[in-house]
Amino acid sequence: MSRHLLGIRHLDKDQIETLLSLAADFKLRVIEDKPVPKLNKQVVGMLFFENSTRTRVSFEMAAHYLSMKTANFTASSSSMSKGETLKDTILTLRYERLNGLVIRHRLSGAPTLAAHHFGGPVLNAGDGQHEHPTQALGDALTIIERKGDLDGLVVAIVGDVEHSRVARSNAWLLSKMGAEVRFVGPKTLIPALPALLPGAVFYDLATGIANADVVITLRLQKERMSEGMLSSIGEYAAMYQVNKDTLRYAQPDCLVMHPGPLNRGIEVDDVAADGERSAITSQVENGVFVRMASLYWAFTQDEARHDQVAEE
Amino acid sequence: MRTLLKNGRILDPSQDLDQVSSLLIEDDQIVGIGTEVAQAEVDEVYDCTGMWISPGLVDPHVHLREPGDEHKETIVSGTQAAAAGGYTTICCMPNTNPPLDSPALVDFILDRAASPESGGVFVAPVGALTRGMRGEELADLSALKRAGIIAASDEGFPIQNARVMTQAMEFCVQLDLPIMAHCEDTNLTKGGSMHEGAMSAMLGLKGIPRSAEEIAVVRNCLLSLHTGCQLHIMRVSTWGAVEMVRQAKFLGAPVTCEICPMHFAFTDEHVGEFDTRFKILPPLRTQVDIDLLVQGLTDGTIDCIASDHSPHASHEVDVPFEEAPFGSAQLESAVGVTLTLLTHTGVLSPLETINKLSTKPAQILRLDAGTFRSGESPVAQVCVIDPNCEWTFDRHKTFSKSKNTPFDGMKLKGKTMLTFSGSEIYRDALFSDDRYLVK
Repeated sequence: MSRHLLGIRHLDKDQIETLLSLAADFKLRVIEDKPVPKLNKQVVGMLFFENSTRTRVSFEMAAHYLSMKTANFTASSSSMSKGETLKDTILTLRYERLNGLVIRHRLSGAPTLAAHHFGGPVLNAGDGQHEHPTQALGDALTIIERKGDLDGLVVAIVGDVEHSRVARSNAWLLSKMGAEVRFVGPKTLIPALPALLPGAVFYDLATGIANADVVITLRLQKERMSEGMLSSIGEYAAMYQVNKDTLRYAQPDCLVMHPGPLNRGIEVDDVAADGERSAITSQVENGVFVRMASLYWAFTQDEARHDQVAEE
Repeated sequence: MRTLLKNGRILDPSQDLDQVSSLLIEDDQIVGIGTEVAQAEVDEVYDCTGMWISPGLVDPHVHLREPGDEHKETIVSGTQAAAAGGYTTICCMPNTNPPLDSPALVDFILDRAASPESGGVFVAPVGALTRGMRGEELADLSALKRAGIIAASDEGFPIQNARVMTQAMEFCVQLDLPIMAHCEDTNLTKGGSMHEGAMSAMLGLKGIPRSAEEIAVVRNCLLSLHTGCQLHIMRVSTWGAVEMVRQAKFLGAPVTCEICPMHFAFTDEHVGEFDTRFKILPPLRTQVDIDLLVQGLTDGTIDCIASDHSPHASHEVDVPFEEAPFGSAQLESAVGVTLTLLTHTGVLSPLETINKLSTKPAQILRLDAGTFRSGESPVAQVCVIDPNCEWTFDRHKTFSKSKNTPFDGMKLKGKTMLTFSGSEIYRDALFSDDRYLVK
């Protein structure tokens, strides 16, 4: 049995803590130029069926630090464009003896299917509107660095929750670690029945971010307008933009986060994105270390080794 | 040739008959039912002690996939699966490739169904309602009816334009042809792959709301009421749809409806971790829906049970959830699932079970089946079910080409043992040799 990272939903609190402490440890080692574990016999396939810059580079950097080799695929240059099914692509890579896979796919559940057919570990780098577990881990590490702990924090996730894998993974992780999660956005962009998602729903921004310790703003896709879910960008910004004015409702030391890429002037303004309360650049930096932790965690199943690394 | 089905529980809803007795088939006709026929001189005897002897089952909703999609199912394999399921008459859907919108294709299907290698069941084709099932111009319905279609439907491509549907209904009133309607507002279902609810929100899959089905049910019922066209609503899945049909019947609209086993067996939670075997249209709903669907079955709002046999090849369903087609193989599990979940739980009596699986669908679609009354069926159509047979469904032991079924591995109670259409067309491996005697 391989260990996969398909979603935060499937992890328990201990596993999340293990991943976060590994990430913190790796960060220290990389910054202080101390040795990190070498997985130098391991080759990981980077399957990005959907465009991505930051997640892909972040995973490649993580693999680089761990002395792993990477094999790159993109949808347009692979045999998927010749009509091969995902299952056959995965089986091909399995018998080309790749050791593990990192998958980004536009369809929810694609990494689950890949894990079913691939022998080794599979890491989800974002699937459809389902999960983006490494993003949530990076965000959690960032919050812990600034706030010390996740337990008891009030975290508002603002924007297009319905279509956001980042919102789902963050909600699972933060709630499992004891934070109070709130989903804030227009009714058309909040799931009609969010009962299985761990968060309370607010349609009003001021109420939703009241006393929040962290505000995670989500990227607004422009196609939501043409789909009739929103009237205009202007109206959305007027109702839900996280900026100097609306942040007054949150805690004075509230962190502002965003998974990127930003639509400045829409879901967030420059003051919020670049101000001292912004943690956006830390999120990007920490993304590398949580992806190191995720690769290491998935590729080495021996729990004892994790503790050892942490103690070294 | 005289064949005796001895000492079974004879269930014939068309005559309100429920008694332990025997049934005599001479050549290809039923010639007698009663305890006295057991004394007759016969060539072969099937001991049916403890089993039900009913009219052959009637399935109003089957996809045989031929022509065009023979990799999923063929008329031969599909009719064999039907025989193994206890069916002797099945209605095949028009969403073949090309769609069933010309008399020549009707001839083709009837010829293939009558060929010696096929399963020996009667195939009653349902023709396309509009040309190419595009929802624009009506198909040549009078010619199709002369060729042998028993109803018309655009199946999975439901007519969105109410004017086109009105005209279709008016023409079908004139032709005395029932319309079968899959009810779906495609603006509301676009991009959806499962029920819109807590599960779809969690899995990040676009949902299909109940309203998408209910709006179309209401529209079609109102059009049926106003035109007088006989309307059969296919596979209702929501409590609201059942309530709308109940109201339409109350208002006097000539409306009937069916349910398929998936919709009373499973909820959206069975999708689990993107399991495509549970992808069906309309989608699996919730326990509230099941509870009220069951009530609809009990009070007769839901007239019959259709298998909605929708076979697909394995490679087509081993894909990400949103790319998978809707539906799965159902013909060989329908009896077991219905008895397990509805009969043994007390929802339906044995007689009512057979009514929903045979007599009622035959009456709705005016098929020569679903009854033991003399002269009402071209040949003897008989199904023998062992209601107490406990077995585990194994997809590798089915006749259907499609091995895609959510019932695989499920323990069921109740199994088809014998099927006769003129002569024996199916005998189950679990029907003991000791029970069969050649004299």
